[in-house]
Amino acid sequence: MTIFSTDHKVIGKQYIGLSLFAVLIGMALSLVMRYHLVHPDAKVRLFQMLWPDGAPGGQMTPELYLSLMTMHGTIMVFFVLTTAPQSGFGNYFLPLQIGAHDMAFPVLNMLSFWTTALSFLVLMAAFVVEGGAPLSGWTAYPPLSALGKIAGPGQGLGQDLWVLSIALFCVASLMAAINFIATIIELRAPGVGYFDMPLTAWAWFVTALISLFAFAVLLAGGILLLLDRVAGTSFFIPGGLVVSDQIQARSGGSPILFQHLFWFFGHPEVYIAILPGMGVISTVLSVFSGKKVFGYRAMAYALLAIGGLGFLVWGHHMFISGMSPYSSVAFSVLTLAIGVPSAIKTFNWIATLWGGRIRFTAAMLYALGFVSLFITGGVTGLVLGQPGLDLYFHDTYFVVAHFHLIMGVAAIFAIFAALHYWFPLLYGRFLNETLGKIHFYGTFIGVYAVFVPLHFAGIAGNPRRYPDFKEYEFLKSLMPLHVGVTHAAYSLAAIQLLFFFNYFWSQRKGKLADKNPWGAATREWTHD
Amino acid sequence: MTNVARTGQTLLIVASSMLFAAFTSAMVVRRATGTDWIAPSVPVWLWAAALLALSASWLVMRGLYRPAALCGFLLVASQIAYAASLRMGDVAQSFAAVLVTAHAAHALFGACALWWKGERASLFWHFAGALWLYVLWLIGVWA
Ligand code: HEM
Ligand SMILES: [Cu+2]
Repeated sequence: MTIFSTDHKVIGKQYIGLSLFAVLIGMALSLVMRYHLVHPDAKVRLFQMLWPDGAPGGQMTPELYLSLMTMHGTIMVFFVLTTAPQSGFGNYFLPLQIGAHDMAFPVLNMLSFWTTALSFLVLMAAFVVEGGAPLSGWTAYPPLSALGKIAGPGQGLGQDLWVLSIALFCVASLMAAINFIATIIELRAPGVGYFDMPLTAWAWFVTALISLFAFAVLLAGGILLLLDRVAGTSFFIPGGLVVSDQIQARSGGSPILFQHLFWFFGHPEVYIAILPGMGVISTVLSVFSGKKVFGYRAMAYALLAIGGLGFLVWGHHMFISGMSPYSSVAFSVLTLAIGVPSAIKTFNWIATLWGGRIRFTAAMLYALGFVSLFITGGVTGLVLGQPGLDLYFHDTYFVVAHFHLIMGVAAIFAIFAALHYWFPLLYGRFLNETLGKIHFYGTFIGVYAVFVPLHFAGIAGNPRRYPDFKEYEFLKSLMPLHVGVTHAAYSLAAIQLLFFFNYFWSQRKGKLADKNPWGAATREWTHD
Repeated sequence: MTNVARTGQTLLIVASSMLFAAFTSAMVVRRATGTDWIAPSVPVWLWAAALLALSASWLVMRGLYRPAALCGFLLVASQIAYAASLRMGDVAQSFAAVLVTAHAAHALFGACALWWKGERASLFWHFAGALWLYVLWLIGVWA
């Protein structure tokens, strides 16, 4: 059976396919959310058909909004940003780039993919079970996530499925990480030293190392959370909780403990999402500038530094959790320190362009877009990294804008760049360049139109995860801004149809590519 | 053992160590923040189970993989018996249950690997044995 293939190329494409499917669902959910934010009282037949309990008479309940938000975040972070750049492209191209015949453990590789697919199915099942999908966001903070049905629709079976899905995802990611690292350590062809590997391979390597350390910790947190839910333990549930007018029997647990476990994984996770993109972008910028990557070794060391430092900064997500101010300062200094290797990368990208013969192909445009987004999103990180400022900005749309630009959209731009660049190897044809360029400009303008205004909403104090702004006097004046953002989001989504058309059409009808059409120097193009 | 197998196993050991490190730090924090910590009792026979882990390692070094795996299965059985006796409503006992069950999963995997793969699984088995001594110390002495 070829669907249970152990061939790294097939598995790579399977991961990419899973991500493309997931991103469609994630995007549809975001549109429904943006619609609801500007029409909170609308009665929509479609909502009623899809979610009879969540939208009685077509009127969306606050709980349904929160469940869509949870599923959007979970799908995008895990099944798109963690899946395509690392497992998708990495599986396909890593062995080719280092001269290996396949990954080190092909059967394990197949199992990783199918465990990921199973994890996705389990998550989707949360939509259809009684109570629907959970409400507690992609971060699943207890006590909300730990209490069960009493905490709201979706907090019963839906949240159980969520935790189970994430636990499966952790296991799959650990298996994949072991495979990637072992492949790089053991299967490099003779003559390929660590510093002969392209930066893409370095990025996959460092990402796999981060995954190995981070996902084990999330798995631990997930197991403890599941036990709080089903076995009557009290790891995270504090005493004296009154929920839906009922005193909760459990006591002694610490919700903050979960936050530590989650963010010890969660911050490294944001690098899991972005580092593979950095690798792709380094390559694309160099190929289409006709120059070698500027400061190759510094780039590799910067990846390692970001990966290492990334484990020391998780507290910046918890500045307002009541931590000691001394800890805040330490986390803040370490957080700002990550700016250094990040800046090294950015300056080296610019230096790579400097004096080059630049070819503005679609892939190149996406790569340039990535650099732009990485800078705009990174600058707000430096703002949030200061406890005094974060006190105000925490849990506002400022944070939403920050992480969408730098993590969400930048990583997606890297995926677009990678698809345009490697399409000839994946399918023997080119993606259509003209469509690609139109799609790039539309998307580039679109993402800024959506996310720049959200910074201002955050500055105005607009909290995130609120389903209905008009309930609050101080948010009423922001409605025009939100209307604008929602319209920008519609246009942005419409433009994506162009990409999907291009992607499927070009597989069959695209211009045929000959060997190494971009004039690249890495092995995946030059070897047979 | 091939290099690839050894590297793969070493990485698996790193991942498992991270898992137990996370459980450990959760336990340390939970004990310090709550006021409800009562040390769990660890029966003598569970300490004796450490001998099973050690003898399995000894047999592995003698090349007797299947007898070693049998010791491993016995270890798993005693772990499950102990975990089943714990009360999940008590915090220290629930941590003990988590740690022992998580270890049992590792020991089961390790013993099966010894049974079918013999020498190639030896590194992981030695790790599982050392990990068991650590878990015993954690729940029997530290807690
Ligand atoms: C120098 C660079 C960066 C700094 C200083 C920084 C700082 C921060 C801080 C302090 C927060 C917490 C804000 C709050 O919740 O109040 C935050 C949130 C976040 N950051 Fe960054 N960041 C940086 C780069 C990145 C990168 C590269 C990514 C991803 C690729 C990223 C993704 C995120 C995400 C996803 C969140 C929000 C998570 C959530 O609460 O749901 N950040 N960042
Ligand atoms: Cu962070």
